[in-house]
Amino acid sequence: MGFLNAFSRIYDEEILHKLDFLRNISLFEGIKKSQLIHVLESLQERTYLKGETIFAQGDIGRALFIVLDGKIALSRLDAAAQKSETIAEVAPGEFFGEMALLEEMPRTATATAVEETKVFMLFKIKLDSLLFSYPKIGVVIAAQLAKILSARLRALLEKPAEN
Amino acid sequence: MSSPEVHTKRNPAQFVLPVVIGLLSLYFIVKAKGAVFPFVLSAALAYILNPLITYFEVRGIKRSYAVAGLYISAGAVLFLGVWLLMHFLSAEIQDLQQTWPTYAERLQAYTTNLNTKLVKSYPVLGKLGLEAKLQHLMELVPQLLVSLLPALTLLFIVPFITFFMLIGGGGIIDYLLDHLPARHSELILHIASRIDGSLGNYLRGILTEAFVIFLIAFTGLMLMGLNYAAVIAVLIGFSSLVPYLGAIVGAVLSSIVAYLQFGTLLPIIKILGFFTGIRFFDDWFLQPYIMKKAVDLNPAVILLALMAGGEIGGIWGIVFSIPVTCIIKEILQIAIELQETEFRWKPKPEPTRISIPYT
Repeated sequence: MGFLNAFSRIYDEEILHKLDFLRNISLFEGIKKSQLIHVLESLQERTYLKGETIFAQGDIGRALFIVLDGKIALSRLDAAAQKSETIAEVAPGEFFGEMALLEEMPRTATATAVEETKVFMLFKIKLDSLLFSYPKIGVVIAAQLAKILSARLRALLEKPAEN
Repeated sequence: MSSPEVHTKRNPAQFVLPVVIGLLSLYFIVKAKGAVFPFVLSAALAYILNPLITYFEVRGIKRSYAVAGLYISAGAVLFLGVWLLMHFLSAEIQDLQQTWPTYAERLQAYTTNLNTKLVKSYPVLGKLGLEAKLQHLMELVPQLLVSLLPALTLLFIVPFITFFMLIGGGGIIDYLLDHLPARHSELILHIASRIDGSLGNYLRGILTEAFVIFLIAFTGLMLMGLNYAAVIAVLIGFSSLVPYLGAIVGAVLSSIVAYLQFGTLLPIIKILGFFTGIRFFDDWFLQPYIMKKAVDLNPAVILLALMAGGEIGGIWGIVFSIPVTCIIKEILQIAIELQETEFRWKPKPEPTRISIPYT
């Protein structure tokens, strides 16, 4: 028992929770738990307060955001109507802004914290470093990214048909 | 939902406090630069060691235990190493202090002889007073070695401060990150990670490189049976922190010691060959492997940085000149990239377009 107590004092349970959390993110599906440590090393954690703008439409994207806790609203400005419309809400375990990992292009929507929100940020430069240092992880992320983008494109094309 | 085009007007008064704090900090640094200096060195050391702590942190070890573990294990090894080295060094320095007058006399006799010959052939050299200048230099060498000893106190102060910086540093950085302007935090963190990528790799690379060169030089010189191998190897190790200097310092110092010790040409040729080998090993194997991710600096830029660093901050200016140049180079590169994106002085890059639709 003494050993277990000492171990629990030294061991940070939060890391275990974070790794479990990452394991359930579709972008990292197929990456072993031991390798997820390298992904966790590359992520930047930050808390946004309620109402804070994470990025605005037109800003150059440089990171992908994974919602750890809280909620983010994505809104898009309709140029013709000069009105901003909420297009999606991102809940814990979901991510947004993945286009920034492929191209440094302007964001297509504005992201705002609906409540106090904790996010993980994966910067393109960190992903590049992962790709070169741990190609096995890089291949999985690149394949998942391609799959997700394909699914989003398919959803976009299928949308009028549904209507 | 607020429109992204609507910006809240900034009140200039909100900048007063940060500006005042900034100016006061600057005044404090200028006034107490002697006291601040060990903290600058400690911050640099903490920055270099931080990835090691993060390595354990992401594997579940709490930060304070990771730092304590690192200090206990690395500290014990380092203490033993430093103690052994000091043991070697103190004996060698004492020996050098005793034998230096004899060596200086021999060196002076050799140069006097050479000078007489040169002046005989080229009378204009006589006006330069080379002999007097050399004598002055010879008298300065032991003083210089003794004056280096107070700097050794930094070896004890810096790890002490670094310990507390490593333990509390994570929290301070997290606090600062959470208080960056939300809208710009992505850009600021992008710039910070770019600088961290190249500077961190450079610092960790150059330290590894200097340590490997120290080990090779120490082993090689010991095997050659050269006196003061430990002192020379330590000087080579430290001078290797400055690009290109390590092998030059090693070759010059070792050749002088070899001449004084053996009095023949063959050991000098061996030593010069050894240091040429180190130089090539460094260029062809060590640097491509260790420094592959670091900033690639042109040798001319390195030379300019070293000279400017020396002019501004003496020996420490030289040590810090290359890391500072790394930061400046990265910032310049980012600034040029931002011209094309954020500042919009140039047209935005076109997205990749494919004519064939999704099928």
